[in-house]
Amino acid sequence: MNTHGLLSELLKPKEKASEHLDVLRSVLKQREGGEAVLSGGLEGGEDPLEILNPAINTLGVLFMMSSRLQNQSSPPVRPQLIANFCNVFEPEAARLAPERVTLLARGILRSSVSAKAAIPLLLTLLTRYAPNLSYLTTIHPVFLEACVSSSHFTHALPVLRVPITKIDKSLSDLHYNDNLQYHYYGGVVFAALKKYKEAEEFFEIVVSSPAQVPAALQLEAYKKLVLIQLISHGKLQPVPKYTHALISRALKNNSPYVILTKAYPAPQEVLTALLEKEIQAFAADGNTGLATQAIQRSPRWILKKLTETYLTLSLSEISQVIGISSEAEVRALVLSMIEMREIHASLSPTGTLTFLDDPSANAESVDKLLRDAQELGRSLAELDRELGIGREFLSKALKDGGQSENAGIAFMSEDADIWGSGMPGPHSSAAPNW
Amino acid sequence: MASPPEYDLQLTSVDDVIADSKASTSNQQTRKRPVVVVDDQHPFDLDAYMGAYTGRTAISRLLYISEASRMLAPQALLQAIKLLKSTQDTTTYLSAVQTYNSLPSVSKPISVDTRWVDQTQANVANESERLEVELKSYLSNMIKESTRMGHRDLANHFAALGDYQSAILHYNKSREYSTTSRHILEQCLSVLELVIEHQNYAHIATYVFKAEGALDIPSPTAKKASLTQTLPPQTAAQAAQASSDHAKVQAKLDFASALAHMTAGRYDKAAYQFSKLGKGLSDWFGTVISPADVAIYATMCALAGLSRSAIKASLLENDTFGFYLQQESYVRELLDAYMASKFKLVLELLEKHSTRHLLDIHLGALWPDMQKRITNRSLVMYFQPFSSVRLDKMATAFGFELVELERLVVALIQDGSIKARVDSHNKILKARDLDQRALTYNQAFKAGAEMEASTRKLLLRMKLMQADLIVKGKKGANKGQGQEEISHEHMQMSMMRDEGFVMMD
Repeated sequence: MNTHGLLSELLKPKEKASEHLDVLRSVLKQREGGEAVLSGGLEGGEDPLEILNPAINTLGVLFMMSSRLQNQSSPPVRPQLIANFCNVFEPEAARLAPERVTLLARGILRSSVSAKAAIPLLLTLLTRYAPNLSYLTTIHPVFLEACVSSSHFTHALPVLRVPITKIDKSLSDLHYNDNLQYHYYGGVVFAALKKYKEAEEFFEIVVSSPAQVPAALQLEAYKKLVLIQLISHGKLQPVPKYTHALISRALKNNSPYVILTKAYPAPQEVLTALLEKEIQAFAADGNTGLATQAIQRSPRWILKKLTETYLTLSLSEISQVIGISSEAEVRALVLSMIEMREIHASLSPTGTLTFLDDPSANAESVDKLLRDAQELGRSLAELDRELGIGREFLSKALKDGGQSENAGIAFMSEDADIWGSGMPGPHSSAAPNW
Repeated sequence: MASPPEYDLQLTSVDDVIADSKASTSNQQTRKRPVVVVDDQHPFDLDAYMGAYTGRTAISRLLYISEASRMLAPQALLQAIKLLKSTQDTTTYLSAVQTYNSLPSVSKPISVDTRWVDQTQANVANESERLEVELKSYLSNMIKESTRMGHRDLANHFAALGDYQSAILHYNKSREYSTTSRHILEQCLSVLELVIEHQNYAHIATYVFKAEGALDIPSPTAKKASLTQTLPPQTAAQAAQASSDHAKVQAKLDFASALAHMTAGRYDKAAYQFSKLGKGLSDWFGTVISPADVAIYATMCALAGLSRSAIKASLLENDTFGFYLQQESYVRELLDAYMASKFKLVLELLEKHSTRHLLDIHLGALWPDMQKRITNRSLVMYFQPFSSVRLDKMATAFGFELVELERLVVALIQDGSIKARVDSHNKILKARDLDQRALTYNQAFKAGAEMEASTRKLLLRMKLMQADLIVKGKKGANKGQGQEEISHEHMQMSMMRDEGFVMMD
């Protein structure tokens, strides 16, 4: 079958999109270059993509377009056509061929004039393709790559704000790298936007992703995680228990990261000297920016530590401890920390800082926390139910014989009861035990 | 100062003890000797001090003092040389003479008594040969008891020569041929004496452990005594003798393990052990230790490690320990001052007698750490009853400069010993009254948020595992290589990203 034949086949009205899929798959299986047929033009020099309507012939356009974008030698696709496809394609049909969607997404990024130009296209493709944003798809990492490489970090936020909770391999032909890359890029985006809490979470997801052998990307993420924790906590936090043991051990005692962590927090001069000594190592990992930021925040952590020890301090005493000689600078630092609510204190006109106790919780925040916890409890109950009716669980329960089947049901009903009564708290911690 | 991990004497196997001891011996060697000053504020009378010791321990102590204090070195070395001439230890004699002559403050070098050296060396060589020949004949005769005695004699011989390694070796060999628990005890005690003399504290635990094992096995005489209901007068006397022997040995072992605790920084345990010592130690007075030493060790360990009530119970109200307290006058003064919370006096006394402590062969290396601990504990204790204290008053009470005191207090707050905060503006130390309710709320909030985040992450992880999105090593390829490959793939990306950070800065 040649391109022409394929086109006429596609133009025939079909009852189901899956019939087109069979045709297209059979073309791909052809001996003399299926991809060539898909990416080929018509005899009259006409572009088959101009003829097909992506809203009706989603699969046809998807196959042909992805093939053309993939193949350097084939004629380029008009950008307008890609945008059109992204806007009108039929998601249900496209989901029949997830591997072509992956190809298309990568093709879009590769072929567009700049990474920036690809961002809106990929965003539309992503939001329309996934049933909702809590599903991870292969488009995710490609989209973030576009955002990161063009430094348009804010564009990624709408997608990143929704945490990934669903993984469906029939929806998207995911590879473990997709997950790692998505969260790695996500961490990078948040770090660049100085949203360290989120960045920490994303890097932590990368680091703690299931692994038999740690991936290099996980190690890279761990290095970034270390620096981000210094920025946002002032010290190293333990990684989750399920993290692969080799990852945290990968940083040797003499590595610049460990040296920096041990010295932190210290006056900036000390840390800067340390950074300059190890600048090559940080630069090789592309972490100089983060390390510099960590060092810039060091005085804040020293000052925060002082709140534990002192009730009042004069600015000159503070400047001595944190190693900043200019009093104006110290004053600015203190004021900004009070504003950011990093310390609770008041500064008198004479330059004496009085530390106050942390404000205690109020009723509203308690209510909010309770609501959040109930919400989480409900979603866990839902998940438990899904798991309970899942084929895998049932077949396992049946295989083990009547005894454990009963046990399984008893377990479920007991749990359902717990969540039904709306009690969060200790039971939610049972979740990890599954 | 790094102290070795704590271990329970009774439970550890001998192997552990030995392995542990190796680690801590190396610690000891790296320990730095403090500089010792002897002047009017820090008096020290060498002759009075040395009067309490005889034998090898006197020599060891003199040599220790000569190393620790430059001022006392000539005097100490001269005494040591004099004492050494009454022994057979030519090696130490020669090196002592050499050290003395190389001292900068010595104007008249003394000459080596070559006649004595040659003669002694000849004697020693003869004696060694004789003992070794004897041992060989015992070995070939396969008589166990004679072999044990052969080894023991050789060991005693080497110990007299100051050849520590060979002495220990032969003592250990002699144990292999021991048939009764009495022999084992004898051997262990000899080794302990040697080990203590050579400051090899880490080995103490091993031998105390072995000796206690042997001590628990009743000796044949004691068994006989308990079997016969009606005791003939002679056996009764023997039994009394045996039980007093038993007490003596136990006291020695207690002292040895107390010393081991002390040198390993476990001051509380050491203080208890020292305070339990009865008069059974009298055999070792002079040859190993002086009663004054025991009083000092016990007091210092107690001040550094025990609570006030424990000090009262175990030292001041302890009749058996009263004997030791009489030996050194300032010790009681010190304890009384401490109990009366006269901390300034305590610190002054400690400072005044620090030379005595620093020049002590066992206490010297520990003293700076102990003095610091006692000071810190005093500070904590002083503040305990108050909710706020003016720092200048506190400084006066301790006789410190205000700045120095603030530094100490801040360090104590930071390590959590004092729960308070410093009002640096008004120079007041204020106890921290924590609002437990608010604290609980805040903790609950934090725990809630953390739990939510971790649940979310766990769910994702579960889904990833379900979908088998698990990082795997490449098949066939070396694991390391597999990692390398991915790493290069991503290296470029991370470069790009960092420009982003820098731009955003």
